[in-house]
Amino acid sequence: MKINVKVGNNEDTVTISGEKTIKDLLESMEIAAETVVVKKNDYIVIDEELLEDGDSIEVIQVIYGG
Amino acid sequence: MNECDKCGSPDIIIKKKQSGQKLCSNCFIESTKKKVLKDIRRQNLIEKGDKVLLGLSGGKDSVMLLDILSTLKNRGIIDLVAVTIDEGIEGYREEGVELAIKNAEKYGVEHRVVSFKQYFGTTLDKIIQNNSLEVRRNACTYCGVFRRWIFNRVSKEVGATKIATGHNLDDETQSIVMSYLEGNIQNLTRIGPKSQSKSDKFTVKIKPLREIPEKEIGLYVIAKELDVHFAGCPYAGESFRAEIGTILKQLTVNHPTIMYSTLRGFDRIKPVLKKEFATESVFEVCEICGEPSAARLCKACSFLKQWENQD
Ligand code: SF4
Ligand SMILES: [Zn+2]
Ligand SMILES: [Zn+2]
Repeated sequence: MKINVKVGNNEDTVTISGEKTIKDLLESMEIAAETVVVKKNDYIVIDEELLEDGDSIEVIQVIYGG
Repeated sequence: MNECDKCGSPDIIIKKKQSGQKLCSNCFIESTKKKVLKDIRRQNLIEKGDKVLLGLSGGKDSVMLLDILSTLKNRGIIDLVAVTIDEGIEGYREEGVELAIKNAEKYGVEHRVVSFKQYFGTTLDKIIQNNSLEVRRNACTYCGVFRRWIFNRVSKEVGATKIATGHNLDDETQSIVMSYLEGNIQNLTRIGPKSQSKSDKFTVKIKPLREIPEKEIGLYVIAKELDVHFAGCPYAGESFRAEIGTILKQLTVNHPTIMYSTLRGFDRIKPVLKKEFATESVFEVCEICGEPSAARLCKACSFLKQWENQD
């Protein structure tokens, strides 16, 4: 299945197979889950939310220094 | 089934690892706000009639605190004035200042933007570029000293009785672990929700978000669609604090309650630490600027003087 992923200003389509969660997706992209908030189709979701074909995922980095 | 523990909504935005509690967006916002207001009452951080100076950087922590403190202002419990410090960090601070102005306006809060330039005639960027002292500290050390000086000075200019900052659970845990690892017991005696100084020339500082994890602050501002500045300071990465922060965040992955337990444990031994180690500083005023200082010159003035004499 194909999923649209937006991280900051970068948008990309990723293809994944099998049952995957937001957590799996973040891990595969090497993004630390403790530092981001994730929206699926414009709604905030938790790490264990399952991905479905055609989902639009937005990863918002909320933890920086300063 | 995942549904909100409070209202039953299926749209949950958080499943707290520490308690297992699941909350929807509205219930998360309400319960977080309640927790902060309860912490303020329990620790006696604010009294009716206080004029609170809020350090408003435009980042998530200070904007969330503005969101919560403005409810106390609207209920006529406190007076609120927001102060934004422009340290002079090119390419970083500008956006924060802009968002601070926008937010202060939105909440109808009196707002002042003040700068290092205005009070010290220089910017943090210039300080770092030109610093040729033998013992060079990292940017955050200078930044912190000058910021504290400005907040204290401005609090007196506006007649504030408290200075509130957006320090969160992660910040506070970092301070504890850092001070401990550095063997800096003096620093440890000063960590807490509310500053206690013998000198009345220091305005009392409070940290209402001290028990809220940084990630939940990010979640709060996004759930509430607040307009905040998400970006990293270019100097942040070089600090020991940043190293400790990374280690602690990594630890929370497998030990989700580690920051709470560090804070709780520290708060329990703090009275003993204070009793054994707090030094009775004889407070005087800095010869140059008149701010309170344990030495002849305050830290800010002594840095400025050293730079005056450099090269
Ligand atoms: S990260 Fe350091 S230099 Fe940057 S604003 Fe914070 S204290 Fe100042
Ligand atoms: Zn709910
Ligand atoms: Zn001074």
